[in-house]
Amino acid sequence: MAEVITLAAERRTETGKGAARQLRLSGRIPAVIYGQGRESESLSLAEPDLAKAVAGRAVGSTVFDLKIDGKSVRALIREIQRHPFRLRILHVDFYEIHAGEKLTLDVPLHLVGSPEGVRNEGGILDQVIRDVQVEVLPKYIPEYIEIDVSDLHVGQSLHVRDLEVSNAKILTEPGKTICSIVRARVELEVQPEVPAEEEEAEPELIRKPKEDEAPAEGEDGSSEE
Amino acid sequence: MLAPKRVKYRKQMKGRTRGLATRGNTIAFGRYGLMSLEPGWITNRQIEAARVALTREMKRGGKVWIRIFPDKPITKKPAETRMGKGKGNPEGWVAVVKPGRVMFEIEGVGEELAQRALRLASAKLPVKTRFVKREDM
Repeated sequence: MAEVITLAAERRTETGKGAARQLRLSGRIPAVIYGQGRESESLSLAEPDLAKAVAGRAVGSTVFDLKIDGKSVRALIREIQRHPFRLRILHVDFYEIHAGEKLTLDVPLHLVGSPEGVRNEGGILDQVIRDVQVEVLPKYIPEYIEIDVSDLHVGQSLHVRDLEVSNAKILTEPGKTICSIVRARVELEVQPEVPAEEEEAEPELIRKPKEDEAPAEGEDGSSEE
Repeated sequence: MLAPKRVKYRKQMKGRTRGLATRGNTIAFGRYGLMSLEPGWITNRQIEAARVALTREMKRGGKVWIRIFPDKPITKKPAETRMGKGKGNPEGWVAVVKPGRVMFEIEGVGEELAQRALRLASAKLPVKTRFVKREDM
């Protein structure tokens, strides 16, 4: 099972964007916890602790041990909302898990090794999917799934059906490609032969131009002054 | 250069760019990306210049995704023309970009080379940018 990360959380009673903004100004992040057979509850967490806990980690498949006012609850992160460009965490959704309840979650794929096709044949490793959906009991949640790609040649690929995960059922379509070795496209630095005028040509109109509308090219060049 | 094949109207109004990018603000295809930190208009020539700078620096190897498309026509009046007499002629195409928009993505190269290549691409663009990684998003 993946590592369990402990985080301290507090219950909060005030909700809404005003209260959430005040909370963020004071260095805490609003959060919510929900799950099967429980009422959802509003929480808040210290921003530095949360940022440190999620940095560089596959949060979707990491179990968190939340100490809510001293009481311990195991949960998964279902969603993290971030600021569009400051990338600061704005809100977190936790999903409470229970030992006997099967979970559906996305587990990241880690490609291991340097493919033969990249080392000796001039290919590029093209990773198509980065995680797979699995159904698993909490105690068997894998942190990531490793796949060895070192034997792949140019033109070969790996599919979801090639994965082996113990104690978990893969729900992603078996025929889906995980990665393939494609031939590197050599870009030729050729000057465009298209004359400048043709390059600037206007696209075709989807609708019919009206009768009183001027033609596309040079419509008001001479009538000025 | 990138331009629409067919359009419904030849000319558009300028509009104002307000707010932040609520779509296209995460890395969707590659491992590294170039994010805009300002609102702006990116012309198809600038996109092409940035793409060429990227692919040249990456030499062979690696894959590039361009996440913006210049679908807004820009008009210009001829030089030494009096004002009035209607809107000018279409002269080019731009992509409207808001802060947070991931404009380029790359994969298949190391982080150092990715940073170098995206910095060169950034120099071709009229907006402030940031290098972003999939892990940070």
